[in-house]
Amino acid sequence: MIKINDLHKSFGSNEVLKGISKEIKKGEVVAIIGPSGSGKSTFLRCINLLETPNKGDIYIEGQNLTDKKTNIDGIRQKVGMVFQHFNLFPHKTVLENLTLAPMRLRGKSPSEAKEKAMELLGKVGLANKANEYPNRLSGGQKQRIAIARALAMEPHVMLFDEPTSALDPEMVREVLDVMRNLVAEGMTMLIVTHEMGFAKNVANRVFFMDQGTVLEDANPRELFENPKHDRTKEFLDKVLNH
Amino acid sequence: MEYLGILKGIFIDEGRYQYILKGLGFSLGVTGLAAVLGMLFGIIFALLRLSKISILEKISIVYVDLIRGTPAVVQLMILANGIFIGNLRDTPILVVAALAFGINSGAYVTEIIRSGIEGLDKGQMEAARSLGMNYGIAMKEIILPQAIKRILPTLVSEFITLLKETSIVGFIGGVDLLRSANIITSQTYRGVEPLLAVGVIYLILTAIFTKLMRQVEGRLKVSD
Repeated sequence: MIKINDLHKSFGSNEVLKGISKEIKKGEVVAIIGPSGSGKSTFLRCINLLETPNKGDIYIEGQNLTDKKTNIDGIRQKVGMVFQHFNLFPHKTVLENLTLAPMRLRGKSPSEAKEKAMELLGKVGLANKANEYPNRLSGGQKQRIAIARALAMEPHVMLFDEPTSALDPEMVREVLDVMRNLVAEGMTMLIVTHEMGFAKNVANRVFFMDQGTVLEDANPRELFENPKHDRTKEFLDKVLNH
Repeated sequence: MEYLGILKGIFIDEGRYQYILKGLGFSLGVTGLAAVLGMLFGIIFALLRLSKISILEKISIVYVDLIRGTPAVVQLMILANGIFIGNLRDTPILVVAALAFGINSGAYVTEIIRSGIEGLDKGQMEAARSLGMNYGIAMKEIILPQAIKRILPTLVSEFITLLKETSIVGFIGGVDLLRSANIITSQTYRGVEPLLAVGVIYLILTAIFTKLMRQVEGRLKVSD
């Protein structure tokens, strides 16, 4: 479903991604962990071209993103993204946040878009907030709306960029629960996260990134209980035993 | 009571108030047209500036620096005496003035809009693009509505400045509010009252404008 070949990305003279090649299959849930500055977010943001790679290819369902002829807007419609800081549209109601893109880009009628939006809001437990503006909501609620907004485009893959890092601790769970439901539905997901428990219990594959490379790629049990690299051990020791 | 008689002599006799009314119409006409042009130029040059295409950015920078670095009255006179000559000499002064003030105001509006857009969280553009919106749709649906709301107070003060600045249009022969006061002075030998009258009219106009905009702002605040 996603195929990445020798991905490189630099910001100025700072090389953030130093050649990553990975393949991700339909239905896989990949947790990406690693220390700050290891390139996790940049890697994720390359997958829908929010960052333009300097070198390498990314294929999504066979289409090459780095090919100039590829319609990137079309591909982004199939790749949902959830941000650390939610990025809801503050000048639109919750419902409008969900219906805008399907109406403008998919040509859905207002009633169709609304029906789908209400279904999704029901799914994230926020149907009663449809007519509120985002600034009236708590962080956890905002993030659940942001997930619903991405789902409204009926994506084939979902990217999560530290979805719980900006939340108060008591709100982390409600967001993770929504994500867990998505996993149960078979959604293909890539999740940059610091929630080790979630990575361990929910993901079926974990990437440990360090200094611009994926140092270790294994199933969660293996990676957490029997890491191969010293860097992975050291990192896990720091984050798990504190 | 005696002074009321004098005022009547200045403004009512021989229908002299009509100069003021005509001047008012001219000032409002120039301001209105120039405001529309200024917004148009402002949006265009702000987008050029943000285009990340070096040559377009430079065009926008030169425009803004050139206009902000020279007095409006000089720009107005260059346009009237240097460009609208020959075949163009019969262009109505209203049009020449509106163009001059539109170009002038556009430079300030460019900077206002640019700072409004740059001040927005860049996550907004990323969120819009990540949903598959192209740059144009994202700008129109997500960025500009938020930017305009944010810059509204600054834009209003720019247009109030514009309204007052049009009073230099007498330099190219336009008969605006200020010139109408001069005409009345030349007929009545009263220097102060016509100017006071014009000043009060400007004050009323700007007050109305400010009040209207406060109401619009209040309505836009709903989502904050």
